[in-house]
Amino acid sequence: MTALKLNHVNKAFGSLQAVKDLSLEVEEGAIHGLLGPNGAGKTTTIRMILQIIIQDSGAIDLFGKPMTTAMLDHIGYLPEERGLYRKMKVSEELQFLGELKGLSAREAKKKSLDWLERFDMTGVMAKKVEELSKGNQQKIQFIATIMHQPRLMILDEPFSGLDPLNAELMKNTIIEMRDAGCCIIFSTHLMEQAERLCSAICVINQGRCVLQGELAQVKKSFRKQNVLLAFEGGNGFLQELDFIESVNDCGHYLEVRLNDMEKTQELAQRVLQKARLKRFEVVEPSLHEIFIETVKKQN
Amino acid sequence: MKKFFAVLKREYLTRVKTKGFIFGLIMTPLFMLAIFMIPILVSFMRADDQRKFAVIDLSDRVYEKLNNALAETNEKGQRLFAFERVTTHSAEERKRLLAEIEAEKLDGLLIIPEKILADNKMEYYARNVSNFQQNRDLRNAVTAIIQEMRIVAHGLSAQFAQDFARRVDFETYRVDADGKEKKDAGASYLLTYGLVMFLYICMLSYGASITQAVLEEKTSRVVELIISSVRPFQLMLGKILGVGGVGLTQFIIWSLLAGLISAYAGTIASWFNSTNAPALPVISPMVLIYFVLYFVLGYFLYATMYAAVGAIVNSSEEAQALQFPVTMILVVPILLVNFVINNPNANSSVMMSFVPFFLPILMFARVATDMPSTGELLLSLAVMLLAIYLMIMVVGKIFRVGILMYGKRPTLPEVLRWVRY
Repeated sequence: MTALKLNHVNKAFGSLQAVKDLSLEVEEGAIHGLLGPNGAGKTTTIRMILQIIIQDSGAIDLFGKPMTTAMLDHIGYLPEERGLYRKMKVSEELQFLGELKGLSAREAKKKSLDWLERFDMTGVMAKKVEELSKGNQQKIQFIATIMHQPRLMILDEPFSGLDPLNAELMKNTIIEMRDAGCCIIFSTHLMEQAERLCSAICVINQGRCVLQGELAQVKKSFRKQNVLLAFEGGNGFLQELDFIESVNDCGHYLEVRLNDMEKTQELAQRVLQKARLKRFEVVEPSLHEIFIETVKKQN
Repeated sequence: MKKFFAVLKREYLTRVKTKGFIFGLIMTPLFMLAIFMIPILVSFMRADDQRKFAVIDLSDRVYEKLNNALAETNEKGQRLFAFERVTTHSAEERKRLLAEIEAEKLDGLLIIPEKILADNKMEYYARNVSNFQQNRDLRNAVTAIIQEMRIVAHGLSAQFAQDFARRVDFETYRVDADGKEKKDAGASYLLTYGLVMFLYICMLSYGASITQAVLEEKTSRVVELIISSVRPFQLMLGKILGVGGVGLTQFIIWSLLAGLISAYAGTIASWFNSTNAPALPVISPMVLIYFVLYFVLGYFLYATMYAAVGAIVNSSEEAQALQFPVTMILVVPILLVNFVINNPNANSSVMMSFVPFFLPILMFARVATDMPSTGELLLSLAVMLLAIYLMIMVVGKIFRVGILMYGKRPTLPEVLRWVRY
């Protein structure tokens, strides 16, 4: 079921068109990567979903209804710019942030305590936030994002600054939330993380969505094109093959892009006929490559 | 609404729980108590204090009369001015007396010249010549004696001379709106001025702390998280009301303390065996109510402006620079207040007291000196509410954009553009 739907959303700041005709659908129980270079319009998009700024045109629907401020209680947001009230005690801070998400004071107290226990952090409850280590502050912020059991989570670079143990703890919690049906938007620059966690992605560049879909589909559509090839002998014969889109000489090997994936066998045969084959590898392009390629192509 | 109260509660509680708040809560009344106690203590110290003066009366006509004129005694029955006549007039004797003054055996030496009537001059030597009260007492006494002698020299009776020199008592009464009159001798001016200054300080300190509160959220970046749950407008109002609530809490506690102190003023004074406890100027409950009313109104107007400052700037340094113009607007009525207290009903006073930025202070000054008509009071309320409404609308827009802006401080045209978004 579609949890979040952006339909032809536009937003301009003066003469700068921050988001152009962006459409996006995010499924329940899925992790959707929101990828894009700096200044692409990711934060603007997130802020529009959170109703912090209002789109100039287009619609944002959450769980089948137009997004309103009343629905903010169902959203958990972990901003890229982390921030907590530094002078507040951990327990009071979490209680306050829980209350802001519509929990009663008592519920907020109880839930924050549950999560602190789970993260093995009950010892810091009475401490001020500024006395905590950076990693612990991040965990507190993460608890603030999830303690009200949101149905939509927006995580902006959630793993930055975490050590591997804490990153693993957070990742497992995110997966658990996903399995419980929570819809998660995962904004990041780190393609390896997105590749590991996301089931679908949306790449934004210059305010536009330039690539989107199920991760497997996206890869498949790219996979058509890449074969790494190394052989002894002249490569002039490659020019004659009409199913080759381009040849990129990488020094030790050639990166050959095919316009039809079915032709890999044919390519292999042709090479065997003409030269002594050293390497023939059909590669699944990494998200990293897909990203760079897509963004570069557009720029 | 619930979230708005959560913001308000947090703002209120984190402030009330600080050591600074509790310190101010206790120290301010103690300071005021000290102001009240000092006159008692001073009068207490003076009562015991006998001063010895040597008098060289070359005219031979003043000493007796001076000794009779300044015959006041303290509680122990000692004379406040103890005079001792010195009959040897040699230079050595004078030297000896000055040495005694230096050795603190003697408090002063008066030399009355032979032709005092013609010269109109006398000399006074002391370690401390700046005790105005004492100097004035001595001078007045000698002047009265000389005046009498001059009048008698013209062939009039001594009785006439005393009648002639009598001063008129100038008793001031303040007429209240309700027609009652009260004896008042300058204390009312001081009290009004003091209250106005207090109003100003409260508006300034609470208003300015809003800037810091907003800035803190901006610099700690917590604001991004907060406004994903609460509308910026709710956040702004919650903060303003939370801090204002702290101010009101202080007033309530202080008013109760002040009530207690004035109820037991006599008792406190009696601990010090002092009969002349200064009458505490009484603040009428109506004036207190208007104080709180104009504080709340003025605070809202200025706190909103200070909130805009906090939303625009990125650092404390920038905040100080931008707070300055707002504070300047707040200072203007303080410059005008003296005129308004002295002329509460002059046309210019009335006009100035309806300028929204000056209204809380000037209208309160008028209330404390001469209660304006009910119509004027209602109008002042309407003007303030309208001004606050407009200010909140404008600043709400600045706030919404400003709190998410980092980096370069925006220029005025940029800020104005935010208002139009």
